[in-house]
Amino acid sequence: MKKKIKFILLLFISIFLASCDKKECSIVLRSEADLSGLRVGVSSGSFFDIYLTPRKDITLHRFMTLSDNLQALLNGKIDVLLESEVLFNSVVQKEQGIKIAMKSPFSFPAGIAFSKKDVELARSCSAVLKEMQADGTMQRIKDFWLSEKYISVDELPAIPPEPKGKPLKVHTCTTMAPISFLVGDKWYGIEVDIVRALAAKLQRPVEFEFIDYSSAILALQTGACDIMMGCIFITEERQQRFQFAESYHAFSGAYYVIDQEAREKGDGFWANVQESLWRNLIVEKRWRFIAHGLWETIKISTLSILLGSLLGVGLLLMTRSRRRWVRAIAGGYNWFVACVPQLVLLLILFYVIFAQSSLSPWVVSVFAFAMTFASAASGIYATSLNAIPPGQTEAGLALGFTRLQTFIYIVFPQAVSRGLPLYKGQCVNLLKGTAIVGYIAIEDLTHAVEIIRSRTFDAFVPLLVITIIYFLLAWLLGKLIELGIPKKHVL
Amino acid sequence: MITVSHLSKTYYNPDGTPFPVLKDVNCQIHPGEVICIIGPSGTGKSTFLHMLNLLDPPTGGSIIVDGEDILHKGYPVHKLRQKMGMVFQNFNLFENMTVLENVMFAPCKILKQSAEEARKEGMTLLRKVGMAERADAYPDSLSGGQKQRVAIARCLAMKPKVILFDEPTSALDPTMVGEVLSVIRQLAQEGMTMLIVTHEMKFARDVSTRIFYMQEGGIHEDGTPQQIFENPVHSATKAFVQRIRKEVFEVNGQDFDFLGMYTALNRFCIKYNIPEKHQQAEDLIHLMLEDIMVSYRPITVRITQSELSSVTALDFMVERLETTPLSDAQRERLTPLCRQVVEEPTKRGFRVKLII
Repeated sequence: MKKKIKFILLLFISIFLASCDKKECSIVLRSEADLSGLRVGVSSGSFFDIYLTPRKDITLHRFMTLSDNLQALLNGKIDVLLESEVLFNSVVQKEQGIKIAMKSPFSFPAGIAFSKKDVELARSCSAVLKEMQADGTMQRIKDFWLSEKYISVDELPAIPPEPKGKPLKVHTCTTMAPISFLVGDKWYGIEVDIVRALAAKLQRPVEFEFIDYSSAILALQTGACDIMMGCIFITEERQQRFQFAESYHAFSGAYYVIDQEAREKGDGFWANVQESLWRNLIVEKRWRFIAHGLWETIKISTLSILLGSLLGVGLLLMTRSRRRWVRAIAGGYNWFVACVPQLVLLLILFYVIFAQSSLSPWVVSVFAFAMTFASAASGIYATSLNAIPPGQTEAGLALGFTRLQTFIYIVFPQAVSRGLPLYKGQCVNLLKGTAIVGYIAIEDLTHAVEIIRSRTFDAFVPLLVITIIYFLLAWLLGKLIELGIPKKHVL
Repeated sequence: MITVSHLSKTYYNPDGTPFPVLKDVNCQIHPGEVICIIGPSGTGKSTFLHMLNLLDPPTGGSIIVDGEDILHKGYPVHKLRQKMGMVFQNFNLFENMTVLENVMFAPCKILKQSAEEARKEGMTLLRKVGMAERADAYPDSLSGGQKQRVAIARCLAMKPKVILFDEPTSALDPTMVGEVLSVIRQLAQEGMTMLIVTHEMKFARDVSTRIFYMQEGGIHEDGTPQQIFENPVHSATKAFVQRIRKEVFEVNGQDFDFLGMYTALNRFCIKYNIPEKHQQAEDLIHLMLEDIMVSYRPITVRITQSELSSVTALDFMVERLETTPLSDAQRERLTPLCRQVVEEPTKRGFRVKLII
């Protein structure tokens, strides 16, 4: 046990040291030609990704979230970060110790996107947006958010009461001021205000979800959401795939680099950790994300394990069926599940098979995990039952037990003691595996931390906190399952 | 008590060809009988036993127990098994239970005895088989003989009317056979009805009231131990009870592989524990084939060894020969080399038998 603790401590310290590592170099950019030979970080699939892809002379690093991207820049894993100028305003730049080395020579119009299928919605939205432009609402929103000053929590605009009805589902791929960001469980930002004003005119409530860019595209195409936003630049290619509302503003791209002068702070290790804990958990009641995430993770894991265990029994019976075609189906199923990554299965279920249904994402994710778990569980059941010699059954029958009694009293308890360690491992695996549900906009533990990080740009404390939580959860789950080990004495 | 008629069992090979294990078994078993079932391996002795309590369902025939046809559809098989105990070759003790729990489990769950009562009776039975001291041990800490004694106690705990023993000592070390057999012997003296499949000939002879000799999927001979062991009707029974082993060589010409024959002879002598007779047998065969019977081909040479009487014999048979091939001089040469020389005509020719 002591060794274990030492090992874990060592692990955390090394993570921290890695996050503190500052690389000494200064980069001067005069034109985009100077990027040659540098490592540039962009958001995966974003406009800037496509913009820089033709440049063969630079190494492009594609990140799923902006906070990962920034972390890479701070750790020296990339040299330059290309993002919209609006995402890191001067306050954030100073806080993080970065600066804009150069702005992109062009600016790009940004707007919110609709599915091409839903022509009706897009048309009415366009009309409303034009109206907003005309009566000055749009200008007011822009003036408020696009000023260079830091907007404190007290200054945030009040959220108007929402009408009842079918909600507009909005997926945003940015949680970053001033575009769209979370404070507590409320969304704020320029695009949020635009959509809210739009929804108010349409007499509909709004639901916001944070999701990565490529998942958002999928969701929009399959109808899992109505509106996609988050500083989406309007390009010709995109216009062919989605319907865009008129651009509300044109942003320049900014090449961010480390600002060496601003980074010489050094408050000491513990002061940093304390400050970071405060900022990541207490400020804006951010621990609530973690609490909610914890609940989602527990809910999804528990239900998946229960459902998967049951389905596993069915699958086991199928693999032992006398009918050949039933066995073939079970075999094919096992093979399919074994070959498809869990994440892909989840995406297929959510964006293809259940795309048109109104099932909640968490229900779909329970299905996806239960499907894989059933296959593994049926394997574990089979292994542990096969490990019981047939003589045990014969002896039970010969004493006068019925077949069912023999199974319940004699075979099953022995199989449980053999299979439980394997089963426990599988359950813990599933628990850890649920970290991917963020892809279908469920705010589980991991996703909660993503949201926090996108506000605080911290790697160490949020990751440390969920590591500890996952560790405790897994340990607790293991202990819970061990309760199922048959008692030493049967009578 | 139990009447078995025309019982048969056919398995099917993977390619669908039938593979009969039991063909037309008929017998009657009366209360109080101790029946040992003997016979070579693979003749369906165990299958027959498994069929009596329907652990293995027969494919034909009928079994009547206490006037009821147990093969009738809907017959409560588990009720039958409650009064027909079984002891297995591999003990099959419940590995997750202690010795005492093994014994009291079925009475508690099936006969609904109270734990206290079952514990008391269980301890009495364990004392009877000499295992009371290990009541709280788990089966994996016991020796084979101890496991089998516990298995017998477990079987007795259900108060069966008949006990089927399926080779109860075959999986045991020779040193542990005795302790198990003495428990069974004790049961026999108490008048328990038992069917015992066994390879222990001496035990079968001493303990049983009746013996079934099984061969090729049927009861070949059925009689008292005296009858079976001393005056068997069939030659196969005789060969089995006297445990006669044999090896046959066909010497059909000058090109015969004599070296191969001597090697096989050597192996035979080592296998049946008569290495001291090997040289003598080889010399005699050499003498007979090279000097005496050199003009006769083909000759069938057979070596037989009876384990019960430890008599070794060499037979030299020539087909369509009516008189002895031995001259007086040759017979005199042979006599000092072996215990006895027998010359006798057979159905198809003439045989010279040398007993060594």
